[in-house]
Amino acid sequence: MKALDIAMRDLLHTLRTPFTLIMMFGAPLLIAGLLFFAFGSMTGGGEDLDLQTIQVTVANLDRAEVQGGGFAAGELLIEFLRSDDLSDLLAVEIVDDEATARANVAGQRAHVAVIIPGGLSAVATTPGQEATVVLYPDPTLTIAPGIVQDLVSQFIDGFAGAKITAEITGQQFEARGVPAGPALLQGAATQYAGWLETTGHHQEGADPLVDLRPPATEGEPAEQDAGIIAGIMGGMIVFFTFFVGAMGAESIVREEEEGTLPRLFTTPTPRTSILAGKFTAILLALVVQIAVLLVASSLIFGITWGRRPTVLLVSVALTVAAAGFGIFVMSFVQSTRQTGPVLGSVLTLTGMLGGLFTQGIPNIPELFNVVNLVVPQGWAMRAWDLSLAGAGPAGVLLPVAALLGMGLLFFAVGALLFRRRFA
Amino acid sequence: MNDDYAIRVRNLYKTFDEVQAVRDVSLDVRPGEIFSLLGPNGAGKSTTISMLACLLEPTAGDAYVMGHSILHEQMAVKSSIGVVPQEIALYEDLSARENLSFWGKMYGLRGERLRQRIDEVLEIIGLAQRQKGPVANFSGGMKRRLNIGVALLHRPDVLILDEPTVGIDPQSRRNILDSVQEFNRQGMTVLYTTHYMEEAQEISDHIAIMDQGEIIAYGTHDELVQIVGELDRIDLTLSTPPGQEEIRAALIQTWRQLDRVHQVSTAGHETITTEAGSPAEQSPDFEAAVDHSGLTLLVGDSNLVLPDLFETAVAVGARITSVDIQEPNLEAVFLHLTGRALRD
Repeated sequence: MKALDIAMRDLLHTLRTPFTLIMMFGAPLLIAGLLFFAFGSMTGGGEDLDLQTIQVTVANLDRAEVQGGGFAAGELLIEFLRSDDLSDLLAVEIVDDEATARANVAGQRAHVAVIIPGGLSAVATTPGQEATVVLYPDPTLTIAPGIVQDLVSQFIDGFAGAKITAEITGQQFEARGVPAGPALLQGAATQYAGWLETTGHHQEGADPLVDLRPPATEGEPAEQDAGIIAGIMGGMIVFFTFFVGAMGAESIVREEEEGTLPRLFTTPTPRTSILAGKFTAILLALVVQIAVLLVASSLIFGITWGRRPTVLLVSVALTVAAAGFGIFVMSFVQSTRQTGPVLGSVLTLTGMLGGLFTQGIPNIPELFNVVNLVVPQGWAMRAWDLSLAGAGPAGVLLPVAALLGMGLLFFAVGALLFRRRFA
Repeated sequence: MNDDYAIRVRNLYKTFDEVQAVRDVSLDVRPGEIFSLLGPNGAGKSTTISMLACLLEPTAGDAYVMGHSILHEQMAVKSSIGVVPQEIALYEDLSARENLSFWGKMYGLRGERLRQRIDEVLEIIGLAQRQKGPVANFSGGMKRRLNIGVALLHRPDVLILDEPTVGIDPQSRRNILDSVQEFNRQGMTVLYTTHYMEEAQEISDHIAIMDQGEIIAYGTHDELVQIVGELDRIDLTLSTPPGQEEIRAALIQTWRQLDRVHQVSTAGHETITTEAGSPAEQSPDFEAAVDHSGLTLLVGDSNLVLPDLFETAVAVGARITSVDIQEPNLEAVFLHLTGRALRD
């Protein structure tokens, strides 16, 4: 009963402190919102939130050198960029020369200029010849040029296949004493390109470089959207729950300094009850925080977090992990003057390790996805990713178990250190 | 354990790393009395009451509060005492009533009994009209009163106050001392720590003087003053030519050899250099500046000693520019026992 009294008093203090309220609710929503608008409203949920179209200006210098309907690599690249699959993402404009294309980017009429070099087609049919497709991105952008670069790279990978096809064809014919003229080699390259196009520009079974998913619809949890804003918001929720967990635990250090904790120790209240009360207060604050953030982000950004039982399970595990981690970190802090630097450094470091700040960034090395499981934030992010992807409760059991285990372990160690300190 | 005493302390020790903060402290506090621990800062008073309040575990020894051991019956001890810490220990974001409600629950009070006690305590500490305002907006004196009120909620057998008048205005100090005496009249045993000699002298039935972790004297005020007998205390200011420390040293040496002078101490005094002002200071020896230094003497009969003091001072080229004579008191006792002033 006394533990509950202590918990309610601490919770009241938390909800009366403007700074804590800002860090609980304002900061995560604001930061996610800023990133959302900065990245051009790229979102996976919400009917009103459309993907921003990337303006691409293309100067095809290869076009002039292609004759009589032969293999035209430049045209194929343009065709690829204008394909139906990419029509929602890219708006492609063809210009006559490189200067015009670059001027379009400089004048912010296009996000990226793609310069297809003269002789690109010849590269496919002429051994030893080289050409480079050049991209000029708007220097103020990062995501849009990255997407275009990935798409062009994807095409070029396929183009390399056409070149190899032409070379092997030539070698096969020459081995049989039949001369392989340019027309024959172009024909082989064209056939390969046609096959590649019909199979979707990538080999069957291989992962595409860009995977665009349609917005999730109600009743189709398996099709849940894991768009950029959902990932960013997930990262913000994880980061700020761990922050609030540590801030809640800071009350132990603060009350020690203010004399209310020693005074509590002079009352007939067991120290275990006092610590239990503190921990309960942190749990309650986190439950409120996560509930508000999930509902608010759904309403504001249209994020569908996943199936309700899964969301509940992940939320509970995140709450326990954040509270336990907070108690653990603050057990090393000797005064409130140390709180800022320690919280800042520990939470930022573990947040980075956990991948909270790299949500939405493409081509993260696979090793990083393993390393971030060293910290609870990494498991929390994985749990949200699975939930966002529509996983059921069974699908998130591993990260949930990891979070609960880490949270309880951190709490046990932190509680032990606090008990020693106040013994 | 013997229940005839509200508090019994037996051979209590507390060591922090290499520092012995409390050494072999033993004392008895009778039920219904006001007992003061008097001593300078760092004497071990707060450490002693922290052990009695079960905040610190003794390195050795034991103590009993209302018959309960501080080592083995901590919950019973804590239920018997109300502790008023030296620093204000309240939740500033809560109102006075909310603070009392929270702390009352920590002492096990609930429901109607809690509400009734809160109302009574608010009346006692004079904050009934301000019970709903946040404590953060209270004056220092009001916070002090509420700080005491928290310790009264559960009607403790023993009220422990740790230097409750430090850093407050004279009016609030007067209120606190009157309140402590009123609580005592209502039957509460009071353990009071202070480094103000006048407070201990005014309110205490028994006083223990502590210094460097030990109790160096123990008894009623009159019994303690008997330690210095009929000695008067003289505080005087000596003016000498600037930078001539040897004159002062020679004079102290001379005074120590006088028959009725028992002790000469420079402790707690510092030398201040000023422009020569009074006629006494304006002599060829003193030029334009004067060193003023304070001295404290314990003497047998001040009326007989003073002429000798003036005469010997003039003889070495010094001037006595102020004299303050005090009857025997606890300050003199401390000086007598330690060679230092209480305020050191």
